Amino acid sequence: MPEAYILRLSAVTKSYPGTLAVDGVDLTIRRGEVHALMGENGAGKSTLMKILAGSFDDYTGTIEIDGRVARISSPAQAKAHGIEMIHQELSLAGPLSIAENILVGRLPRRGVFLDGNAMAVEARRCLDQVGLDVNPRQAVEMLSQHEAQLVEIARALGNNPAVLVMDEPTSALSRAETNRLFAIIERLKQRGVTIIYVSHHLPEVYQIADRITVLRDGRKIATVAAEEVKPWSLVEMMIGQPAGQARIERRREPGRKRFRVRNFTRSGFFHDIRFFIRAGEILGIGGLAGAGRTELARCLSGVDPLDSGDMMLDGRYIEPTSMRACMKQGIAYLTEDRKRQGLALRLSALTNTANAVHAKRGQLLSRRERRELFSRQAAQLQLQPAQPQRQMVQFSGGNQQKVLLGKWLATAPEVLILDEPTRGVDVGAKQVIHEKIAQLADRGKCVLLISSDLPELATLSDRVMIMRKGRFIREMSKTELSENAILLAANADREVRFHA
Amino acid sequence: MPDQGASGTVISRSDALRVRRFLGGAGIYVVVLLLLLIGSLVSRDFLTSGNLLNIVRPVTLLGIVAVGLMFVTQSGHYVDLSIPATMALSGMVAVSTLGLGIAGSVVCGLGAGLLVGLINGLLIGYLRLNPIIWTLAMNFMLDGLLRWSTGGNQVYPDYTTGAGDVFVQLSRFETAGVPGITLLLAGLAGVAHLLARCTCFGDQLQLTGSAYEVAATSGVAVRRVVMLSFLISAFTTATAGILLASLSKQGTFTNGQGYDFNAVTAVVIGGVALTGGVGTVFGVVGGVLVMGLLGNIMTLAGWGSFDQMMAKGLLFVVVVAAMACATRRGGREDE
Repeated sequence: MPEAYILRLSAVTKSYPGTLAVDGVDLTIRRGEVHALMGENGAGKSTLMKILAGSFDDYTGTIEIDGRVARISSPAQAKAHGIEMIHQELSLAGPLSIAENILVGRLPRRGVFLDGNAMAVEARRCLDQVGLDVNPRQAVEMLSQHEAQLVEIARALGNNPAVLVMDEPTSALSRAETNRLFAIIERLKQRGVTIIYVSHHLPEVYQIADRITVLRDGRKIATVAAEEVKPWSLVEMMIGQPAGQARIERRREPGRKRFRVRNFTRSGFFHDIRFFIRAGEILGIGGLAGAGRTELARCLSGVDPLDSGDMMLDGRYIEPTSMRACMKQGIAYLTEDRKRQGLALRLSALTNTANAVHAKRGQLLSRRERRELFSRQAAQLQLQPAQPQRQMVQFSGGNQQKVLLGKWLATAPEVLILDEPTRGVDVGAKQVIHEKIAQLADRGKCVLLISSDLPELATLSDRVMIMRKGRFIREMSKTELSENAILLAANADREVRFHA
Repeated sequence: MPDQGASGTVISRSDALRVRRFLGGAGIYVVVLLLLLIGSLVSRDFLTSGNLLNIVRPVTLLGIVAVGLMFVTQSGHYVDLSIPATMALSGMVAVSTLGLGIAGSVVCGLGAGLLVGLINGLLIGYLRLNPIIWTLAMNFMLDGLLRWSTGGNQVYPDYTTGAGDVFVQLSRFETAGVPGITLLLAGLAGVAHLLARCTCFGDQLQLTGSAYEVAATSGVAVRRVVMLSFLISAFTTATAGILLASLSKQGTFTNGQGYDFNAVTAVVIGGVALTGGVGTVFGVVGGVLVMGLLGNIMTLAGWGSFDQMMAKGLLFVVVVAAMACATRRGGREDE
């Protein structure tokens, strides 16, 4: 009699410097079920699955497979235990053939040469399991995104896994392709393969999952049977109780229109965008990844070139000829990916705080001015530790984000564009950052807030524009917003699911 | 996020930093002292003032080249492989334009070098061509151009107007027993230090080399920064090229051979990270001194020039491997 539970995780914990990505998670997976793992960005879903796939050798806690304790510290060990993972980003070698990609690591040989026929036969067998009818000798780069993903699944199935982990497999698929994928998942389930399905899309989880586990901030919130749980209670579990958060105090009503944008177009990215921001107003932009929000911000701040359109601040046109030109006219842009675009992680906190000011002025601050600038920003953002010479890598995510905000506040912007200002930061840092943003608005500045964090968008914004496929499709006022914040989450989702 | 264990990462990361800090800071001068000690054991004449000048003299031009090359390496664009042909070009142009007088000839020589730097800078900075591939091609094309335009012959200074004599004296002039070119190197190193440490350009160079994307989204005109770094490298290279022509009393396409590799070696053992963003002029000058000392000691020990080339090549590989090894164990520090 085999165990009813194929996987049993107890108190599994993984920390990165400064953050607990997975915090004491207990999780049991039944043999042959489709188990959905849900949570917002940064909830720890991907990290937890990477632990199962053997990406880390420094997790704590125990993993039992088939009732026996196993230590999984390399991808090879995970495979040996029958765990295969399909990653969010495809990991195929484009120029190589489909067969070579599927059989990587176990290519059939005849003498010193590869056995082409055996390869084709074996690859065919794997491809049949996912119902993909292509020539295995063809190069992977000739395939569509969806077909490439099926090849990736075929590769995983080739090793006869007992557990298949799929990390956000539908993020690049159309509705029809998603349905084909679900049919394949159903077939695999009938063959007894256990599937862990990582996602934050409600409708598809309801469509295929037997049980659902929700993670938030690295902790497990609950495991529930899919047919027994209502969508709203899942959403509540995912985003937490907004009522529990401290409210952001605003001290003034938005005033006259200061910043206007008309006919902004960058073809292929966004079209005919128009909006205004009042003095002291925070305008939120909501939407899914790929809606064109970041591309819009990059053009507004002069990083990328614009096809057509104009913008005006206090009645004067701003020519977005270069980022520096925009900075000099009062625009600041806090980029979304602090590790790649926001901060030079090898340099000190002091250097990072000063470099946008230096670029704006075209002249260095004196040593003393730089120190003063740093201490001012460190104090108002409660940077910890407030050490100017400390390298950025040595700060926690939340404190890195504070330095990034400080760098842009230091340029004294009239219009501050924020792209995911609190992604992956802890609750404390988030509160400080939110207060700073609100204070800036209270001083009469314009704030444009791009965020995928719906409670953040709802608490901070005075108005929200919803963007989809490069266009503004809807505007929501403050009153609508607080009532509809959660509905919005589900709606934005459904729109893509059912109209794509 | 790196896949490494937290505690192991911290240790090996600081190892990588330690290697680089050692080479980049005063550490390289510990090596200099060590080599001075070894030298005095190898030969009793080693520490005489005459020999100490012999150590510095052959690497002075190398030092001038390396101080400029440092800017390219710091900008995160590895190396400028068009150094040899740029040196030959500026030397030949200077010699051929002596008819314009000494000032005119120097200006023409520098101008020719700067033109190469401008082309490199535009193509690499603005069109984002791969710096290694492009400068390699540039070197090859320039070399061909020089051979073609002179029919493969050397050009000699025109001594009839007096400018030729002055030209030859450019590299031989001494004051109080100290060669003028050594003073020039000291001056250029001082200027380079100020440029790198105390100007907005230096600040932006460091940011561009450490994190190109970050610089681009912080209002830094990254393309211009990269172009300027290639222009600076071309300027010092052209300066060295003119002085080399003066020293050898001729302009020829073989002038400058080997300066590419030697300059890169000096920059790297001087603690400038090939990945960009890290390094000091002080360290690079130390790297140049180490190259000079090694050459001198090997010569005193009776090694031929081929043996010395092999030894220097080996040294380069060892230093780069040590840095790469330490870095790889720790993962890149910015991840």
